[in-house]
Amino acid sequence: MDAARHLHNTGEIRGDYLEKVTGQAQFASDVVIPGMLHGRVLRSPLPHARIRSIDVSAALAMPGVVAVLTGADLAELSAGRNSHWGLYLRDRPLVAIDRVRYVGDPVAAVAALDEFTAEEALDAILVDYDPLPHVTDAREAMAPDAPLLHEKMDKIQNFYFRGGTNPVEGTNIFQHYQYAHGDVEAAFSRAHRVFEDSFRFPMVVHAAMEPHVVIADWREDSITLWSGAQSPTTVQKALSLLFGIDMAKIRVITPYVGGGFGGKSSVKIDPLVTALSWKAKRPVRVCLSVSESMLTCRRLSADIELKTAVDAGGKLLGKSVRVVMNGGAYADTGPAVAVKAAIRAIGPYHIPNLKLESYAVYTNTVPGAAFRSIGGPPAVWATESQMDVIADALQIDPVDFRLRNMLDKGGLVKPDLRPIDVDMPGMLRRGLAAMDEAGGNSRASGVAVAASDPGIHALGSALVRMKIDCSVLILTNTIELGQGAHGVLRAVASRVLGQPLARIKVATPDTDLAPYDWVTGASRSTVIMGLAVEEACAEISREVRQLAAELYGGEAAAYVLADGGVAGPNGFTSLLDLMVRANGIDSGEFVGLGRITPRYRNGDFSRMPLFWETAVGVGETEIDVETGEVRLTRYVSVADVGRVMNRKSAEGQDEGAAIQALGHTLYEELVYEDGQPLNASMIDYHVPAIDEAPREFHTVLIESGDGPGPGGARGMGEGAILPMAPVISNSLARQYGVRVRELPLTPERVWRAIREVQRDARRGK
Amino acid sequence: MNDIAVMDVTFTLNNEPASARIEPRELLIDVLRENFGLRGAKRSCDLGVCGACTVLVDGLPVSSCSTLAADVAGRSVLTIEGLGTPQALDPVQQAFIEHGAMQCGFCTPGMVLAVKSLLAAEPSPTEEQVRHYLRGNICRCTGYVKIIEAVMDLAKRGARLKTNP
Ligand code: FES
Repeated sequence: MDAARHLHNTGEIRGDYLEKVTGQAQFASDVVIPGMLHGRVLRSPLPHARIRSIDVSAALAMPGVVAVLTGADLAELSAGRNSHWGLYLRDRPLVAIDRVRYVGDPVAAVAALDEFTAEEALDAILVDYDPLPHVTDAREAMAPDAPLLHEKMDKIQNFYFRGGTNPVEGTNIFQHYQYAHGDVEAAFSRAHRVFEDSFRFPMVVHAAMEPHVVIADWREDSITLWSGAQSPTTVQKALSLLFGIDMAKIRVITPYVGGGFGGKSSVKIDPLVTALSWKAKRPVRVCLSVSESMLTCRRLSADIELKTAVDAGGKLLGKSVRVVMNGGAYADTGPAVAVKAAIRAIGPYHIPNLKLESYAVYTNTVPGAAFRSIGGPPAVWATESQMDVIADALQIDPVDFRLRNMLDKGGLVKPDLRPIDVDMPGMLRRGLAAMDEAGGNSRASGVAVAASDPGIHALGSALVRMKIDCSVLILTNTIELGQGAHGVLRAVASRVLGQPLARIKVATPDTDLAPYDWVTGASRSTVIMGLAVEEACAEISREVRQLAAELYGGEAAAYVLADGGVAGPNGFTSLLDLMVRANGIDSGEFVGLGRITPRYRNGDFSRMPLFWETAVGVGETEIDVETGEVRLTRYVSVADVGRVMNRKSAEGQDEGAAIQALGHTLYEELVYEDGQPLNASMIDYHVPAIDEAPREFHTVLIESGDGPGPGGARGMGEGAILPMAPVISNSLARQYGVRVRELPLTPERVWRAIREVQRDARRGK
Repeated sequence: MNDIAVMDVTFTLNNEPASARIEPRELLIDVLRENFGLRGAKRSCDLGVCGACTVLVDGLPVSSCSTLAADVAGRSVLTIEGLGTPQALDPVQQAFIEHGAMQCGFCTPGMVLAVKSLLAAEPSPTEEQVRHYLRGNICRCTGYVKIIEAVMDLAKRGARLKTNP
């Protein structure tokens, strides 16, 4: 039998597997547009400088060079509009105008007949810089005499996330978030013990295997983009504002994307490439290298200070969280990250007195941006490490200590948020049992839990078209970047429309064809787009059954959609026959629209979070005492995902998130010295390789069936990135008595910590 | 640009004779992608350390992003397109699908070819050998768990074939 048919007929949910495994899948970086030019970006070699002058004449004179874009072009391009863009603060020019703010800041862009020529032309551009004092550390950037990166804070409201940011004018602080309930000071003063601990979380980069890539085709009154963008609709909106072209005339097409992890969400290089196409008057392709992607965005690094009060019985009385995040040269979505970092440090615990404070600060480093579970990993690393520190000091078992304080289902993490909708104590127990069943020892393992509130906007629509042969086309702007969203949508349509998966296709996302969707991120697609597709299919199903009842008699409810048509009281009719009978010819189609808004389910979808994304991690480690090298040997990851839509994909998301976390726990850090990033390349920046994955990985997916999505599904894919760092760190503390408070847990840091423990032991401490 | 010398390179590509007029500086990945339209080999790190651009030259994995096209003259190049098609998948491709051993799929062509060459040399490798051999193929999405499962499944089949050929 034909292998392709065979695979589809055995119910493979994901249509992309077959394309990907044969090299047929088209990624944005594979797209070729006739007549397209190739662009390269000249980047600042200095962390902070004024641009005195740029001389592009030699570059322009090179054969094959078509155009060079610099800040001098922006006055003409913007023609009275703002040439700066941003998500919370309009702080980023299309290309540097008179100043650069980090090593890697785009200074100019060249479009040439081929990439090689474009690259050579970069060397021919002469830039005269006047260096300015720089600052790369967030705390130093908060000091009164620190160099200022941005003189004004040009705020935007409700652009991408709800609300705005709260910057402090005249400083580098572009977000200051505060929250309190109860009286935390009173709790500290009457506590049995108060614990103060600080933790550091490094700058890490997304390192998606496909770098950022955009082909932009600017025309007089329209723009077409082929982009690896996670939010094509936000790109469309940003370009409309920058270029003064109607949104409906801006088309963003998103082929398969080679990994995103948040690094391609909101807006990234699309405005720059579009401006280059405007200048060249031709379509231009810019495909970065991974090293350049590392200079495009990263996760916000963080210093987290926790002060936590407990009573003699091991009950949490109060907690204050203070987070300072290094936001880099431009704010991007950093303001939201800072808020989430504070909230995600609460954990699934009852804390009667709580104070949260967080800052996001401009520095002369790569702009911080969303990365899988924004703010989550630093927050959970700090809180779950401290939980073990406290348990150890009180001589309570760390699991016991957690359970004494853990919220049951329906408990409130924070009163303005939806009550927690999963059974966390049950999840924790499942994780421990799974470790023991796997032959491990849960009582000697590192353990951590996490509860995060996905920042989901319930805004997304889908169009579904069912043809007379019962094949189905789903039109959506939810993109496929490996997470398997398109497979989930096929599965939903297959179930509601009664057609086999093999007949269901998801079209390449295209803003000209598919309706609005907010972003592919925040674990929202299964719920939001899943429901939109479900609603659209239900509309088709209603219409088909109604028509069948009218034409063949009986009640619509007596009919069901089945493979190829509809079955009713008088047997099966093909859709084709139904259409001929209804319309007189064998043509036509059914179209359904599904629309999810915050008003969905009587406004319940406006309540944040839409669901809780939770995780439990239980892990065993080995340490080489001589070298300080740490290995994760066995790991259990638990999540209540409500309903598993596609087991292989769901497990894969869980495994992938956990191993990404293994990276920031043991290996990854973008290191700065004198304003220069020292290791922004895949040679020097180590992401986990296959031999570093644990020998055993067990994913436990709990299906409680009570999530808001199709079949009771919740979103997933971010939770498992949360517990890893504290699991490993708690395991090291439990087994070897070492506690390192700074990630990554490099051999050197661990080795030093071991030496200290040994020295203390010799001194009889 | 027209003063740059060009040369002809003749080699075997996916079991067919092939030749291309190239500049000596051209890299194998570009010749495969641009001249032959074979876009399965992916450019990622562009430094020869991530494995996304892996193709097999005389059966051995090489990084096509750091191999001169001129250097494959007279040799045999296998790309993912030559390994199997949707209608006739190679067992490695089939196993990757069965185990869900991919997500974004950007590393997949290189990973599949690396596995292919490992199994050609050692049809029933140990997990240790698999982990060692695939160290140069980075995957940022899967966490490798399902990739290891897929390869160990193939290794088991390889072992069965060894004992009952
Ligand atoms: S599947 Fe995305 S890099 Fe491997």
